[in-house]
Amino acid sequence: MNFEWTEEQRAFRQKLVDFLAAILPDDWEEFSKHGPASPALTEFARGFCRQLAENGMLFPHWPKEIGGEGLGPWEQQILAEVMWEWGEPRGGQYMNVNWIGPTLVKYGTEAQKTKYLHKIASGEMLWCQGFSEPNSGSDLASLRTRAELEGDHYRVNGQKIWTSYAGLADTCFLLTRTSDDRKKGITILLVPMDTPGITVRQIPSLIGEGDIHEVFFDDVMVPIEQRFGEEGQAWEIIGYSLTNERLGIPRYHLARAALDRAVGMLKEAGDFSRETVKAEAARCAALCEAARTAIYAIVQKRVDGLTIGPESSSARFATVMAERAVCEFIVEYLPEALAGASAFLQMHHQRGIVAGIASGAAEIQLNIIAADVLQLPREPR
Amino acid sequence: MQLSLSEDQTQILDFIDSLTRPYATVPMHDISFALTSDELDGALVEGGFLDVMAMEELGPATAALVVERLARLPFAVEAGASALVRPLLDPELPRPLCLVEEGQLRKPVRYLKPGATVVVVGEGGVRSFTADEGLVRGAGDEVLYAYPVAYLIGLPEESAMRRYDIAPEALRTQWRTALAAEAAGLLAAALQSVTTYVSERKQFGRPIATFQALRHRLAEAQVVTNGCYWLALRAAGTGDAGDAALAALHAQEAAKRVGYDFHQFLGAMGMTLEHPLHLWTYRLKLLTAELGGRGSQAVAAADAIWDD
Repeated sequence: MNFEWTEEQRAFRQKLVDFLAAILPDDWEEFSKHGPASPALTEFARGFCRQLAENGMLFPHWPKEIGGEGLGPWEQQILAEVMWEWGEPRGGQYMNVNWIGPTLVKYGTEAQKTKYLHKIASGEMLWCQGFSEPNSGSDLASLRTRAELEGDHYRVNGQKIWTSYAGLADTCFLLTRTSDDRKKGITILLVPMDTPGITVRQIPSLIGEGDIHEVFFDDVMVPIEQRFGEEGQAWEIIGYSLTNERLGIPRYHLARAALDRAVGMLKEAGDFSRETVKAEAARCAALCEAARTAIYAIVQKRVDGLTIGPESSSARFATVMAERAVCEFIVEYLPEALAGASAFLQMHHQRGIVAGIASGAAEIQLNIIAADVLQLPREPR
Repeated sequence: MQLSLSEDQTQILDFIDSLTRPYATVPMHDISFALTSDELDGALVEGGFLDVMAMEELGPATAALVVERLARLPFAVEAGASALVRPLLDPELPRPLCLVEEGQLRKPVRYLKPGATVVVVGEGGVRSFTADEGLVRGAGDEVLYAYPVAYLIGLPEESAMRRYDIAPEALRTQWRTALAAEAAGLLAAALQSVTTYVSERKQFGRPIATFQALRHRLAEAQVVTNGCYWLALRAAGTGDAGDAALAALHAQEAAKRVGYDFHQFLGAMGMTLEHPLHLWTYRLKLLTAELGGRGSQAVAAADAIWDD
């Protein structure tokens, strides 16, 4: 058991940090307030990801056969930590390297791999995830967007909501219903967003411009070769995708960086000598580090080739606790940070408040922990 | 970074599990506040389980694993101070080892009895002495903790105490790690005990564990317990003052947070001595008072992390 990074791991982190420091514009912190899904950051990310790719830093953890460098799960985590701490200059493309790429490799047809992988690898593609619907949020398997096969096309009708990146994405990873069988009736279609019949409406949000949308599908015709996997295979495929994405965004890392930044500002203002403030800051640090170690324990399982189980929900919830505490600490002791005094802390706050909502509500994580970690008898349905 | 258990560590924990199996359940009709066993203590000493820190390839993280595992027993065993603090002073110091903060003699001392080694930490440095009858006052039957405790009447003359060449803060760091590891084991065992009870206890025709009011709070208890475990191991592994203070802080926060819930979920059984839950939670209660409580751990952590 060893809680220190190896020299190689430290060097890898340093290489990433040096690269970011060299390549990001001087006003980056101000710029990153736009949020990962904003038009400005999306446009920036296209060039940035291309440069990352040219320097072997876009998907170093992918297997060599698809252009990666075969680096391990620790390096993947370090990459994610550094990028998220710096305001995610990859924008929405982080999804490509985290799970869309690996899922394409496992379930895509040869034609689909040819079509998408090199575009992902060159940093040119932006996807959106057509999952949630107005009446299917946490209860995702109840989704109703219909896809009916007519000859060699699917006719798609329905609505998605709270879809990140939809405004600028090239392609939608769309979950549709092809039969009434709850989980086995769901099918994935890869739908170009410029297909006639798709309407995107941005939803004004607390978390930054361009982040969430409604997407309407009215008689959208999708060629059958754009189906991903078999009919009814969606639940299995997204289960696989989620094991690649289950650790989620390393929010504990940005939360800790925001906390450190806030403490620095409080010191400068001469307000960090009060023991009440110090104690509260330490409580936040404990929550951040508890989340970090819980996540690292899971990364270790991935290193060891073990199956990742419901403990990932426990680690996710620990992250939610940390984000919440840090956001509240900054508001309470450094209110000016959210009113122009710190672009970085403002960026953190906008991203931090979604921790318990995005990609699976915190309460769902608690349900999973109760049932599958604690193995309590199931709730009646 | 390497967080899986080594083969040696797995083996040591397996040995402990088989050795302590007779002590893993509460003796029938025993309704005491604290359970102790000289036989168990003797067996652990004989097996060398409290000396793993000094062994090559094992070290402090293994000692923390041992402390965490032993704390899960319903029996209170003095392991934290012996396994994690004693090696910094003198591995031959007679047990039990009692850690005391200078100027805090009004507080009950865990495991104190004549013959115990008392380690005093304070501005005056780190010193130790062997407690004799004249310095120990029993706490009688009035104790509401699941540890054996007694009071120190005073300290011997300075000249009668052995001095150590170790900074008081370095000792406190290791004390915090020991506290965190012990609390992690207590939390895990208490959670397991409550989980079993609420899964079996039926009201309104179904196990009470099927009510979401309990499920979510128990799930949160699992999250913080897991955090305590990993923070304690990291503190042991790195030996870092900030890591140790964060681990102790998180453990004391957790004890406060879930201690109430655990008894609450047992309903009236949570008020009795018939259910063994108190054997863990009433140890946790006293641990929340250690080293000045949460606030002191938090300030210590802040100073260690953010002091210029």
